[in-house]
Amino acid sequence: MADFLNLPRGPSKRRGRMSTRMDFTPMVDLGFLLITFFMLTTALTRPNMMALAMPDDKGEPEPVKRSKVLTLMLGHRNQVLWYEGQDLAQSDSTGYDAAGLRKVILAKKEKVDRQWGQQTYMDGKTGALTKGSYLNVILKPGPHSSYKNLVDALDEMAICGVRYYCIVDLTPPEQAYMASLGL
Amino acid sequence: MPKNKPKRSGPSIDMTAMCDVAFLLLTFFMLTAKAKPQETVVIDTPSSISETKLPDAGTLTIMVNKDGKVFMDMAGQHTRLSLIDDINSRYQLGLNDQQKMKFANLGSFGVSRAELKRYLDLSPADRNTYPSPGIPIDTADINKSELADWIHNARLAQFRMKQEGKVKDEYVMIVKADQTTPYPAVQKVINTLTDINVNKFNLITSMEGGPKKE
Repeated sequence: MADFLNLPRGPSKRRGRMSTRMDFTPMVDLGFLLITFFMLTTALTRPNMMALAMPDDKGEPEPVKRSKVLTLMLGHRNQVLWYEGQDLAQSDSTGYDAAGLRKVILAKKEKVDRQWGQQTYMDGKTGALTKGSYLNVILKPGPHSSYKNLVDALDEMAICGVRYYCIVDLTPPEQAYMASLGL
Repeated sequence: MPKNKPKRSGPSIDMTAMCDVAFLLLTFFMLTAKAKPQETVVIDTPSSISETKLPDAGTLTIMVNKDGKVFMDMAGQHTRLSLIDDINSRYQLGLNDQQKMKFANLGSFGVSRAELKRYLDLSPADRNTYPSPGIPIDTADINKSELADWIHNARLAQFRMKQEGKVKDEYVMIVKADQTTPYPAVQKVINTLTDINVNKFNLITSMEGGPKKE
């Protein structure tokens, strides 16, 4: 369809000169057909990933000051139960949105920074000296939490710049406490 | 009206340039894109702000679907062949060379060792509809856990291939779970990994915009 040829009505008398021009239309069709095929059958975007390091449970655990610790217990129906230090009885619940969990973590971070100052460390990637918080966050996903809850909580760690966090199982008293709250 | 009407041809478009563009794009797509892996299991990953991309190097992926069934997939035909050879002779699965080749070319699988032979004999279409029960995990005894055994031996196989120079890197461990997977199912997998001293791994997530910088 690239050429709208006005073909001569009768048989042409001059056959000698043939045009060397080719019609590329079918080739373009083929090209785009193949492009469509490749676009549909290939995965263009590589998925993202989030690195996670679990603590090695064979070594001796290092004691941490109670005032530096924030515990998050991930519960049922996208609820997080959090408490500072070891005050399980003082726990409060919140959601995963920016106004909930993030606020809790940032508030605790500020508290820790005020009490303990900031830690100077060498950034692994750039080698530059940077300052980070001493805050330790313990993530305890409960039996009714979903995988998304865990990833959301890990995301908050990255957003709030928490350098020390780990995923730990719930202790029996915590489990009982959460069950009593229906979480 | 003049007698000698000038010969008029219709509007003509030169398709050469368009053809060039089409094939240029085609070449681009063929070079940049990676074949979509055969998915025997549907997993809708949660989103995160992480921007680290999955590496090109060999990966060993453990998938947990929303029912908590565990599937496994690893890259590298050589490694898979070496792995299935090893498993076959160790547990006397009675696989022939053809079945071993099938395993080497398989995508993810989620069957127990005992039914692997039957599973490999199925046609690809039947395999997709096969009600895979997931790879059995024994959290109480790590030596009985098939998942732990598979992962351990797959890593050994990859290490052998690395020594033979067939692959460059050791496996990057990847856990891919559905958003709605209950945590206990994921916990089983994570515990299995830490039990065999795999303490560093990656969670697959999809893209999400980070919070606004204040």
